[in-house]
Formats: sequence, structure tokens, C-alpha cells
Amino acid sequence: MKKILVVDDAKVIRMVIKRLLTQHGYQVAGEAGNGREAFEKYKELRPDAVTMDIIMPEVDGIQGLKDILAFDKQAKVIMISAIDQRDSLTEAIRNGATDYVVKPFEDDRMISTLKNIFGENQRDAVDSRQ
Amino acid sequence: MNITQDRMKVIEIMSRLSIDRASRALSKTLKTGAMISLSNVYIADLSETTEKMNDDFREMTGVMVDFKGNIRCKFLFMLPVNGSFILTDLFLRQPAGTTKEYNEFTESVIQELGNILASHISNALVSDFDATLVPEPPHVHNDYAGVMFANLVMEQGMSDDKLLLMETKFVLSKNELECYLFLVPEMTSFVKLLDNIGVKT
Repeated sequence: MKKILVVDDAKVIRMVIKRLLTQHGYQVAGEAGNGREAFEKYKELRPDAVTMDIIMPEVDGIQGLKDILAFDKQAKVIMISAIDQRDSLTEAIRNGATDYVVKPFEDDRMISTLKNIFGENQRDAVDSRQ
Repeated sequence: MNITQDRMKVIEIMSRLSIDRASRALSKTLKTGAMISLSNVYIADLSETTEKMNDDFREMTGVMVDFKGNIRCKFLFMLPVNGSFILTDLFLRQPAGTTKEYNEFTESVIQELGNILASHISNALVSDFDATLVPEPPHVHNDYAGVMFANLVMEQGMSDDKLLLMETKFVLSKNELECYLFLVPEMTSFVKLLDNIGVKT
């Protein structure tokens, strides 16, 4: 079971994402409320992926992303933000984000993003052909 | 600072487009028909408006957001405390009436709604009008309407005695919910943006 670290400064968003992940067979490794906490939790929990908000107090999600990738080049970090602007997207991708999901998002969008980074979409396709 | 009628018209269109974008995001977030409409865009005298609002002693919950970028701007979304219970139930997909008191979930829902509304307003201004505008983390407050409004305009008032105010009205699930959304751009930087997009008169 893949373990996910959920990072957002809004408790209700963490709750919504955690509920969604659990319903789809993912394990929630932990949660964090800003980029610094995210980095600390990442080192401690070593999750398979991170969902990371961008606008957060103290240390934002872009800094959190940079810190995590400096520690683990293979880390998979999905940025989740209500900011739907080219500059924000390119900054995230330039700094190594695996994907970018705009809030508010449909449940399917989040799950297909996770399946995609874990290669589960291809596996589903092969399974359905067999 | 004078704003010509032509410029006011452009400001009104910009406001309407950004509010429309925020309205769609709110509907999607709450999974219910939500419509925010622009009720008024106007230049107000700072001291007069603050004095008028100071007499408003309704207890409200609100979220304030500062923006960084080439327009300095402040945003306030506020509503009576019991209105925030309705938004909490909608956000968490709970039956209406589940939330009966203000708690950490209510606060978090208001924080997140402020973030989503402010972000989508900035998205529209960036994509349609070449602005650079990114919201800072939102701050939730509980206070009288007048106090919250005074906090919103205080900083802007230090550099200008006039305010550009955009007021809106909310309709949620066919019920009119008494919510207020104020967008207060700093006038000098906003006029510069109008210059940049060619609205010079």
C-alpha cells in the first residue's frame, strides 16, 4: 500500500484529501501544515509521495518541495494549489514537482494523478486487457 | 486621485470577470449552485466609509488576504457567524444543520474558502489583464463587521484618502446568504495596471 504525506495549512483540506486517499486504497503516512513541517515529516516517515499546498504560512510549499528534493532526488511531490497561473506552474515544475493539481479539484483528478505517478494507470489498462 | 468614467467602466468589467471566476470556483468547491454577483464598484472617501462601518456591530467571521505582485491589494470575505455554519456543512458534505457552533472546522473552512476565492480572483486578473498577483496565506478573524472593515482599509488609508471598493452579493443553493466580499486595490498601482493595458484616458 502506497504511503502519502498530506501537506496543507487548512485542516479541512487535509481531512478531505485523507478521506479520499483512504477510500482509494492509499495509506496516509502523516500530515503537515507548512513546508518546514513537511520536510521534517518527510525525513521521518519516508512516504511514497507528497501532496503539497503552495500558499502556506512560515515556509511555503515551493520551499518545502526544494528541501524534500535536496534530501531525496527521487521524491514524488504533487503540488495542489488554487493558483492557476503560468508562473506558479512553471516555478513548481522547474523545482522538480511531479505534477500540479488546481483546487478545487474533482476526486478523479487527484486519484488519476497518483495512479499516474505510481504507474498504476498502465497496470490497470494491462489488467483490463487480460 | 481621479478615475475617469472610462476607467471606472474597465475596472467594473475587470471586477465582474474576476468575481465570475471566483463564483465558479466556489460552486465547484461547495458542489452547489453558488453565485457571486458584483453589486457595486466605487471610489469611497476613507474616513466617511470607515465612520459608517464603525457603527456596524454585527458579529462576523471573516478571512483577510493580502496580495503580492504589481498590484497591491487586500481582500476581505466576511459573513455572520451562523452563515459560516451553512458553509461548513456544504464544504464537508454534511446534512444542513450539522454544524451548530463555531469550531476549528468552521474556521478552517472559512480560511480555505478565502484562499480559493482570492486565488481565483487573482488568476483572472493575471490571465486577462497581465497583472502579477499572488495571494499570501489567509488570516481568519472573528469580530464586529466595522472592526474588520477598519482593519482592511487601515493600511491602504495611510497612502491614500480614497478607496476603490468592490462589493459583492452571494446566493448559495437558491438562498441568499449574507456574505460580503471586499476587494481593495491600492489605487496608484491599479491605475498603473490600467496604463499598461492601454486604458489611458
